[in-house]
Amino acid sequence: MGRTTKFAAAAAASILVLTGCGSNSDDGDSGNGGGGGGDGSGSDVKVGLAYDVGGRGDQSFNDSAAAGLDQAIEEYGVESSESEAEDGEAETAREERLRTFAEAGFDPIVAVGFAYSSAVGVVAAEYPEVHFAIIDDSANELDNVSNLVFAEEQGSFLVGAAAALKSETGTVGFVGGVETPLIQKFEAGYVAGAEAVNPDIEVDVTYLTQVPDFSGFADPARGKTAAQGMFDGGADIVYHAAGGSGGGVFEAAAESDNLAIGVDSDQYNTADPSVQDVIFTSMLKNVDVAVYTFLTEFVENDGEVEPGTTTYDLSVDGVGYSTANEALIGEFETQLDEFKQQIIDGEITVPDAP
Amino acid sequence: MSATTTSPAETPKKKRAVSGRTRRWRWVLVGFLAVLVLMSVLEVVTGASDLTSSGAIGATFIAVMPILLAGLGGLWSERAGVVNIGLEGMMILGTYGAGFFGYHYGPWVGILGAIGMGMIGGLIHAVATVVFGVDHIISGVAINIIALGAVQYLASLTFVGLEGGGQTQSPKIGDIPTITIGPLSDAFGSMEDTDLFFVSQLGAVLRALTTNLSWLVVIGLLLVLGTWWVLWRTSFGLRLRSCGESPSAAETLGVAVLRYKFIAVLVSGGLAGLAGGFLAIVASSNYRDGQTGGRGYIGLAAMIFGNWRPGGLLAGSGLFGYTETLGLRQGGTSVHALLLLLAVVGVALAVWQVRRGGFVTAGALVVGAAALFAVYLSTDTVPGDFTRMTPYVITLLVLTAAAQRLRAPAAVGEVYRKGSAG
Repeated sequence: MGRTTKFAAAAAASILVLTGCGSNSDDGDSGNGGGGGGDGSGSDVKVGLAYDVGGRGDQSFNDSAAAGLDQAIEEYGVESSESEAEDGEAETAREERLRTFAEAGFDPIVAVGFAYSSAVGVVAAEYPEVHFAIIDDSANELDNVSNLVFAEEQGSFLVGAAAALKSETGTVGFVGGVETPLIQKFEAGYVAGAEAVNPDIEVDVTYLTQVPDFSGFADPARGKTAAQGMFDGGADIVYHAAGGSGGGVFEAAAESDNLAIGVDSDQYNTADPSVQDVIFTSMLKNVDVAVYTFLTEFVENDGEVEPGTTTYDLSVDGVGYSTANEALIGEFETQLDEFKQQIIDGEITVPDAP
Repeated sequence: MSATTTSPAETPKKKRAVSGRTRRWRWVLVGFLAVLVLMSVLEVVTGASDLTSSGAIGATFIAVMPILLAGLGGLWSERAGVVNIGLEGMMILGTYGAGFFGYHYGPWVGILGAIGMGMIGGLIHAVATVVFGVDHIISGVAINIIALGAVQYLASLTFVGLEGGGQTQSPKIGDIPTITIGPLSDAFGSMEDTDLFFVSQLGAVLRALTTNLSWLVVIGLLLVLGTWWVLWRTSFGLRLRSCGESPSAAETLGVAVLRYKFIAVLVSGGLAGLAGGFLAIVASSNYRDGQTGGRGYIGLAAMIFGNWRPGGLLAGSGLFGYTETLGLRQGGTSVHALLLLLAVVGVALAVWQVRRGGFVTAGALVVGAAALFAVYLSTDTVPGDFTRMTPYVITLLVLTAAAQRLRAPAAVGEVYRKGSAG
């Protein structure tokens, strides 16, 4: 009895402590201002970029957003400031971060990741004159919010087709981190792509955890077990959409002489050399393209941007597949580019739910 | 592996104990073979071929170890009367230790680093609970929170800028060597491929034991044996356990209670750290933020499942690790087959209850078994949402059945102050 109360007290105290940390340390502005690019026109646009956990240097999502910003700095000489989220921080800490940008005169403000969804909703309503963009979320319908989302199912379709073309056993696998609608988009596209090439193909699907347990995105041990099971069951290529658990999938592939497909960034370039060769291709989600396009539009139209949802798909290179592992993927490029063209032309409609 | 409950009436005590122990080992062997026969039958009936494949068994070793080692840590601590809910945090410290030391100085030093980092967590817990008498739960929860923050901070200090490293992960760590006994592995491999009833399954188990078996798995299993020996066969262990049963009685007999508790919690931290190290180095190959995923808590549950005894802990973590592995590998068909097993076990338990006169319980068991059997017949596979639940559901079921017989150390969780005996 007393134990439960004490537990609750400890938990409550810890939340307070964490919140305190969050709001104190969040605004470590890296002061990247001053138009880093020499040839920039010295635009007076001041961009505020709020990262998700991990920030610049995470070799993934946030880094990609940073690359888009860097390109805009180079091109237009926009001023910028960046700040990143703490793991497990409170909702109010996110709101405060966006509010600080707005107060300091930053416009537009780009929030990276769906975790900012409600924070953007709250702060955008408070500052109707400031433009907001949020990546990977389309919940907000305010006039000053642009939702930048991706057609992950289209990119997944292409790697699914690639897997089916390459597979010798007629079985391929998919490891999802957490069973959320977002990750199911990857699965749906992948399965559709594989079946477009080989209608009889068998696709093993495993999700590492179920909502609300998000540890499936950070558990390489489970990723490895799941992929090993697929390889033992006859699959010869496994695609992962499992974030940090993907490292385990690559290892399982390397140990059993099979292949794996990466996700989000070109993982052939970032993976450890010992598993590089088994990374057949990667489904690319070009967050940099979305950030750069949004900023370009903003600068060129003097702050006038379309509110609402913009989907970055194959036609604008918002998603795609990697050809970094030339030795393996090279022979299929023609066929894959045909599929790509068919999707762009609307001849193939890719499902976004399994 | 428990101390026998020999009644004082039986006179030739020593002889009795020895034969009791031999008999126990024989029971373990018989139990193992019985389980294997059961699984073979299940495999034949259901056609779920992954139930006893060498791949599944090999992966089970990997899945079991972090839970087992964390549970062993809990065992040391709780046997000395200190609740250690901070196991998860000490494991997290261990994963970082393995990442940092493993990357810079090789995997074996990484293991030592993991143990060392876990012991730092254990030291904090020991100082708080043993020296200052802080409530065990509060201290443990605090360690879980502090550990998470600390490793995130340390990772951003030490892994950023390294190739393949970053704020949320370390670069790749080298591998701990594995044992493969070539000829035996091949022989058992062909035994597994025979598809003969039982022979194939036995071959699969033996093959898993002789192929790519990590040294750290062997060390982990030896630690279970070592823990049993130290805690139940030495005077040191007897004194340590007496601190968990009745510290004041122990103190009146001259046992340095606080010192024993302190040592136990330190060892506990080291074992939890090793569990984290195993996770980072063997189960995957780098430190990754959040990779423990609650395994420390599962270890604690496995220890309770095992009635605060090494053998029971091994069974508990084995059951959990095995069902989790099955669910992750070819979950749909394997877990579907387990439904049939559960239904049969339900009927067997019902028969047993009827013989003891428990008609209501028996009725409930039969209804449950019939429902499971109906589900088994009407479906081909189990959806992913349910395969992830399997280990938890099965552990809960067994715990419910066994809970009546569990007995925690009598003074576990109590803050003991020096001199309270007086």
